[in-house]
Amino acid sequence: MRFAAALCLVVPFFATAQTPNTYVGSTTCRTCHPDVWLNFNKNPHYKSIASGKETPAKTGCEGCHGPGGNHVAAKGGKATIGAFSEFSPSQKLDACLSCHSKDVNRAGVRHSAHTEADVVCSDCHSIHKSPTPKFLLAKPQIQLCYTCHATVRGQFEMPSKHRVNEGAIQCSDCHNPHGNVAPNWRTGTSSRLIATSHDNEQPCLKCHVDKRGPFVYEHASVRVEGCETCHAPHGSPNARLLRRPVVFTLCLECHNGAGTFGRQNAGVRLQSASHNLLDPKYQRCTTCHVRIHGSNSDERFLR
Amino acid sequence: MKRLAIIALLPAMLFPQETVAPTVNERVGSVRGANAGDYNIVQSWEFGYRFATIGGDRGKYQSDVNFGNGIRLLGSSLSINSKEGHGRWFDEFLLSTQGLGNDPYESATVRLQKNRWYRYDLLWRQNDYRNPGLVIANGTHAQNTTHRWQDHDLVLFPQNHFRLRAGYSRVKQAGPALSSVLEFDTRGEVFPVFRDIYRQFDDYRIGGDVDFKGFRLTVQRRWSFYKEDTKDDRTTPVTGIAPAAITSFDRSQPYRGQTPGWMGNILGERGWIAVHGRFTYASTVGDFIENESAIGVDRFGAAQNRQILVRGRGNRPVTTGDFTVTLFPAARLTIINHTSASNTRMVGNNFYQQYDNATFTYSSLAFQTLSLRLVTNATDLRYRFSKKFDAFGGFRYSDRRIYSVENTQVTGTPWDGITAEQSNTTKAGVLGINWLPTKNLRLHAESEFGTNDNPFTPVSLRDYHSVRARARYRAKKFTLGAAYNDNYNANSISITSYSSRARNYSGDASIAANSWMSIDGSWSKLHLDTAGGINFFAGAPRTALVSDQSIYVSNLHAVNVGLRFALRKYADLYAAYSVTKDNGDGRSTLAPQATAAGQVFYNVQTFPMTFQSPLVRLSVRINDKVRWNAGWQYYGYDEKFGLIGFNQGYRAHTGYTSLLWAF
Repeated sequence: MRFAAALCLVVPFFATAQTPNTYVGSTTCRTCHPDVWLNFNKNPHYKSIASGKETPAKTGCEGCHGPGGNHVAAKGGKATIGAFSEFSPSQKLDACLSCHSKDVNRAGVRHSAHTEADVVCSDCHSIHKSPTPKFLLAKPQIQLCYTCHATVRGQFEMPSKHRVNEGAIQCSDCHNPHGNVAPNWRTGTSSRLIATSHDNEQPCLKCHVDKRGPFVYEHASVRVEGCETCHAPHGSPNARLLRRPVVFTLCLECHNGAGTFGRQNAGVRLQSASHNLLDPKYQRCTTCHVRIHGSNSDERFLR
Repeated sequence: MKRLAIIALLPAMLFPQETVAPTVNERVGSVRGANAGDYNIVQSWEFGYRFATIGGDRGKYQSDVNFGNGIRLLGSSLSINSKEGHGRWFDEFLLSTQGLGNDPYESATVRLQKNRWYRYDLLWRQNDYRNPGLVIANGTHAQNTTHRWQDHDLVLFPQNHFRLRAGYSRVKQAGPALSSVLEFDTRGEVFPVFRDIYRQFDDYRIGGDVDFKGFRLTVQRRWSFYKEDTKDDRTTPVTGIAPAAITSFDRSQPYRGQTPGWMGNILGERGWIAVHGRFTYASTVGDFIENESAIGVDRFGAAQNRQILVRGRGNRPVTTGDFTVTLFPAARLTIINHTSASNTRMVGNNFYQQYDNATFTYSSLAFQTLSLRLVTNATDLRYRFSKKFDAFGGFRYSDRRIYSVENTQVTGTPWDGITAEQSNTTKAGVLGINWLPTKNLRLHAESEFGTNDNPFTPVSLRDYHSVRARARYRAKKFTLGAAYNDNYNANSISITSYSSRARNYSGDASIAANSWMSIDGSWSKLHLDTAGGINFFAGAPRTALVSDQSIYVSNLHAVNVGLRFALRKYADLYAAYSVTKDNGDGRSTLAPQATAAGQVFYNVQTFPMTFQSPLVRLSVRINDKVRWNAGWQYYGYDEKFGLIGFNQGYRAHTGYTSLLWAF
């Protein structure tokens, strides 16, 4: 039944065929496409051939391109085979998801920002000529993402940044390009493909485990709005990826006592009157409030 | 071989000051495989020497770049594949490494799999992590933490309808980092000190998948453990403003946390409907104790000692549930509804005891609760008018409830007996189109506009909108792209209005003119301006409440240009230049302001700086299997105003020379 459903996605692409189409097997394909076949034994999709147990509709070349009978009879041509170069983005997506729709990390692909922008599987993956050893990426991951996200490239070339260009981490450490469920911090704005760490936490906590807590005294904004309240995660001209060049402006923009903000709905607490901001030591808030991400011992994050 | 090595290293001797640049992704010519029995083997190994000369602020260089000198295995890769997919013990073995031998960024990946039986993946990384304490620790850059990660994942029967999964991850941090201990310098200033930290996080996972009737059910059980054993001992006296001094200090803050958790996931797609359900539950418990004792002399010259004991427990159960339904009622129409609900509850208590001069003086018992309940629903509708044009729209709704309790045994403290509850509702709409006017040109535009009735902080989203547009033209020999992104947020508060506007523009081009030359480049402008109301205390001799506006303007331009040039099959040359320049708000000097407090804020409203990095890499073919590589990269950083009292500019020439052996 599931193979029939997969077949249904592919069959409409060959509507021009006049005769019943048949499966010919991958060995027939390699006669005219030796360049593709040459390294296909290193391709993850080769498993379907090696197993010898899959149906023709799920095996080798025809597993993705559909039956090749008419293509062989016509001696080639894009109109007689499922040529991905002729597919619309949604057709490409449907073709790949006929097998890959049930993987956990691709569960959000139907409603991901990439899919909305018509960026689908073959825009990032090269099935036949991938230069990467894993995941069949069309380019090394960093180059792949920069192809469209030039502004992000600019952010990673700032003095203070996560070491993506240096190879220490990758975009997919924090993002799931296939889409994800809504984050359980912030509110319902677009998810920006943010991945969750440890199933339901902010991706930052995957590496910065000491900020994970739980703390007796949580810095509420970290949990409610996320690390991005104070930090620019890609890169920043400012030290420690901070959104401002000095700490006190960052703190005071929230801690101004105004309005209905904060845990008590009475404004985020104002700084102490004993803190004369003209004194340089009070301009470096986290000199004393050193456990700013959360503390177990002190309500004001002093220890 | 010896002669070859000498020839290879000769250029390095001639240019001893140059370089540093990772080479993992660099093309170094074609490799060919070797057959051994039923396997095909492809490998490459690049050994070399890195060197760096640094002028200016070395600490800042180490925080930003951190490449040093020494012999390295700059990069390597090894792949062994069975020819027919029926290897005896395995069908695929992959190994790739980067920077082994003391580069600040080292990594290794391994994959080992046998079709139908198992697949094992390993990712190991080590980062010698320098980061500045400059904004809080007097401009020092002493933090030099080694951060190690390892992730192991094993899948049994990966092609079966029933799969078993197991995994293990570890994150470990060790080395000097900022501690929570404050010390005085002779001017009486306090600043946190750097101490050796020791943190370790272990994560164990086990689970499996089962496919039935078109659905896949995944279940995973997880146990995470975290421990921190950072200890601080000081026997050397620390003097403050005479006669105050600390003659002995000892603090230990051991922490033990554990998080058992469950994750369940179900996915299925059948004809006109696809469903996805997901559930997670994790309950973290952390036990802590703090024991601190200090002996010294107070500011009046009297002997003083103090001991603090804190113990307690924090608990954070997190439950999330997600359900997504995708409907395909017609070939051209897709409707997606995603509902997400989560509940996060943080509860903690601590018992604090303080003894001054061996006399009991103070104790308190505190309880804290912070609960978040978030329900989000998003409905998207997409209609494909033709193969070349589709439009989508959606509505997002969120309801967030924040509940907070603060209690302490000591009555009368400002944070005793406070219970608060608030709810935020976010409503947002999304509209967008995708259009292919020609086969090679792709256009995308979308806008999101929303409102949040009760934002949590003065800088949170309240009335916001964003506009994103993108165009990409792709031809056989070149690609052109352009993008625009505008985010605007207005969050009015009682002092003044907070507004934030970020506008990003970018353009990129990539041209592969022929087989021996290619050029690629990108430019982006990131403009940010914010204005927020602030209240603070300042003044001399007495402080007074001052209301003002905090303004920040960043006007960043980032440019990248790269040229790749191949001299037949004998050599490859790659030259590139990148520059990131923040023009700030355009000011050239810090003009005197009317008030001292005004001056403090005026000085930090903008942060003009330039960070640039040209590089050149050369790869010369020696024979079919060996190539000689060399590279030079310059890093130059300059800031216009020394916000922390001095300019942290630096200039670094980094370089490498290496031999690559590949087949």
